[in-house]
Amino acid sequence: MLVFDHVSKSFGDLRAVDDLSFEVEAGEVFGLLGPNGAGKTTAINMAVGLLEPDEGVVRFTDEAFDRDPRDAENRRSLGLAPQSIALYEQIGGADNLRFFGRLHGLRGSDLEERVVACLDFADLTDVGKKVVSKYSGGMKRRLNLAVAIIHDPELVLLDEPTVGVDPQSRNAIFERVEQLREGGKQVVYTTHYMEEAQRLCDRVAIIDRGRLMALDTVPALIEAHGGPGNLVVRTGDSESRHETTDPLGTLAELQARQAVDHFQYLPPDLEAVFLNLTGRALRD
Amino acid sequence: MNKIVAMAAKDIHILFRDKLGFFFTVFFPLMMAIFFGAMFAGLSRGPANIPIALVDQDRTAASERFIERLGQASGLAVEEIPREEALEQVRRGRTAVLVTLTPGFGAALDNPFVATPEVEMTVDPTQFAVAGMVRGVLLEAAGAELQDLMSDPARLGAANSQNSLFFESLPPSDARDQMLTFLDLSPRVSSLIDEMGLGAATGGNQGFFGPPLEIEQTEVQAERPGPTNSYATSFAQAMLWTLIGGSVSFSMSIAIERSRGTLMRLLVAPVTARHLLAAKGLACLGATLFTSSALITLGITVFDVRPTSYPLLALALLCGSICFCGIMMALSVIGGTEQAAAGIGWGLSLPLSMLGGGMVPLFLMPEWMQTLGNISPMKWTLMAYEGAIWRGFTLNEMLLPCAVLVAIGVLAFTLGARNLRWDTG
Repeated sequence: MLVFDHVSKSFGDLRAVDDLSFEVEAGEVFGLLGPNGAGKTTAINMAVGLLEPDEGVVRFTDEAFDRDPRDAENRRSLGLAPQSIALYEQIGGADNLRFFGRLHGLRGSDLEERVVACLDFADLTDVGKKVVSKYSGGMKRRLNLAVAIIHDPELVLLDEPTVGVDPQSRNAIFERVEQLREGGKQVVYTTHYMEEAQRLCDRVAIIDRGRLMALDTVPALIEAHGGPGNLVVRTGDSESRHETTDPLGTLAELQARQAVDHFQYLPPDLEAVFLNLTGRALRD
Repeated sequence: MNKIVAMAAKDIHILFRDKLGFFFTVFFPLMMAIFFGAMFAGLSRGPANIPIALVDQDRTAASERFIERLGQASGLAVEEIPREEALEQVRRGRTAVLVTLTPGFGAALDNPFVATPEVEMTVDPTQFAVAGMVRGVLLEAAGAELQDLMSDPARLGAANSQNSLFFESLPPSDARDQMLTFLDLSPRVSSLIDEMGLGAATGGNQGFFGPPLEIEQTEVQAERPGPTNSYATSFAQAMLWTLIGGSVSFSMSIAIERSRGTLMRLLVAPVTARHLLAAKGLACLGATLFTSSALITLGITVFDVRPTSYPLLALALLCGSICFCGIMMALSVIGGTEQAAAGIGWGLSLPLSMLGGGMVPLFLMPEWMQTLGNISPMKWTLMAYEGAIWRGFTLNEMLLPCAVLVAIGVLAFTLGARNLRWDTG
C-alpha cells in the first residue's frame, strides 16, 4: 500500500505539494485529479523516489514490510509510465521491453514470457521487432505503459497516460488500465481529464495548487460536492437550463406550464465538484 | 553486473543504430585514414627541416666554417652531438642521417689540390630519400667552399705556397715542373677568366678539380623504422577519431536520456547511480575499443599496416579508450542538453585534435606546436598508437603515454561522475 502522510514539497517559493495525505489500497485505481501545475507529477516523483519530500513521509507498507520509495526492493514492486514517452526509439518495442525487464532482474524464459505478455497487453505483438521511431503516437503510448509493467509490479503509476493521443488510442489505454485493475494491481492514475477519472478511478483525490481538496469515490464526491444537476429544456426555438436535484419533479413543473419539445438532464460531475471546491473550472 | 552489461549493451546498440553517431565514430575516421593515407602515399617522412646529427672530429676553423654553412642550408636542421649519441639516434629512427667530419677534413677543404675532403655519412637505409637530399646539400656546401677558395687569391696563394714546398721536395721531373707551374698560375685563374670575360660561361673554377667532396656512406639499420607506409600514420589518426567520435556520442547519450525521459525510467529501476555510470563507461570503452580495433584490423589486412608490436598495440588501444571514456564523462557534465554536449564536445575536440596531430601528422608540425601539443590527450593517444604501429616503442617507452592516458581518463571520469546531474528534468 502506498501511503502519503502529510507530504509537502517546494521548489523555491513555489509550494508544489502542500500537506498531501492519502493511501492507495490494493486492487484499486486511485485517481489524482487536478489541473496542470496542481502538483500531480511532483507527487508521482516523490512516490517513486525521484524527489524527496521536504516534510512528511512517503512509504510503501504491508503487513510484512514498511519501505522507503528509494529502497531497491521496493523499486521492483512499482512501475512508472512517465507523462512523456520514455522509450529508446532507435530499437524495437520488444527490445525496449527486454532491456527494462533485464534491469528489473528478469532473465531467460521468464523475461521472454513477460515480453510476449506485455506486447500482447499493448496490442503490439505484430510490430514488436519494428523500431519504436516507426510507431504511431498511440502505439508509443501503449508501449510506454507496457514497459511500466514488464516486471509485473504490484503498484503501477500512470502519469497522464493519455496526453496527446487520439480518442481511439485513449480508449485502448482505458481498457489496459481496467485490465490492470482486474489483475489486482494498485494503480495511481493522474489526469486533468475528469471524464477519465470518472470512468476509471475507484477513488479520486482532487488536488489544486498542491493541496488535497477532497478524496473519496466518484459518486461520493459528486454527492458531497457536485451540487445540483442541470435540466436542459427546449420549447420551440428557446432553450433553458434549470439547476435541480429532482429532475423529474422539475420537468413535471415545466410541462405543466408549457409543452416541452425536448429535454436533457445533465447530472453533476467531477468538473462541477472541482468548480465547487476551488471556484475555478478544471481546465483553467 | 548483469544490469551494467544490459545498460552498456543497450547504449552500444543505440550507438550503432544512430546513423550520425555511427558515421562520426566509424566512417568519418575511416574516410580520413584512406584520404590522408592516399594523400601522403609515396612520401617518406619528409619534414620541412630534416634533422641531421653532426659530429666534428676535425675541430678546425675550416670544419667549423663548413658546419656553419650547412646550418644555413635550407632544409636541414643540424645538431652537433657526440658520435655515440648520434648513432643511437639513427638506430632509434629519430635522426635519419649522421654526418661525421673526419680528422683532416678542414685541411682538405682549405687545400683541395692534394686531397679531397671526406665526410662519413651514416644513414638509416629506410630513409634513403632523406639521405639523398642530405648528400646533395653536403656536395653543394663543399662546392661553395671550393668556389670561395678559388675566388680568394690570398687563401689560394697560401694553399699553393704550402703545396709548392711539398712538390719542390720531390725528385725533379716534367710532371713536377708542370704542377709547380700550374700552382703558380692557379691563384690568377679567376682574374684571367674574368679578364677574358668568361666567368659566367665557365660557371666558376671548381670544374677543374673533380668532385668537391668524397662521401663515404655507411648504413645503420634503425631498430625502430618509420612507418611502413602512409596508412600506418593515417590509420593511427583514424583510430584517434573513433575515440573522439565515440566519446562525443556517449557524452550526448546522458543528455539524451534526460531529455527523452528514459533517465527517469532508469532511476526508477532497481539500479544505482553507480550502476548507470559503470554502464556508460563500459559502453563507451567497449564501443571505442571495438571500433578502433576494427579500424586497425582493416588497416592491417587491406592497407598493409604492420604494427611493430601487437601486445603494445592492444595496450595502447585499451589506454586510449580509457582516456576517452573519462573525457566522455567530463563532457557529459559540461553539456546539459544534447545540443550543448555535442557542441562543446566537438568544439573542444577539434582544436585539441589539431594540436595533438589528429589532423596533420605530428612530424610535419613545427617544433613549438609539437611541444604545445603535450597538453592534448590526442597527442598522447597518437603517440601510444604510433609507438605500437610504427615507432617501435619498447614497453618502457610505451609506459609514459599510457600512464598519461590512464591518468587523464581516471581524473576526467571522476570529475565528471562527481558533478553529473542525476535530476530528470
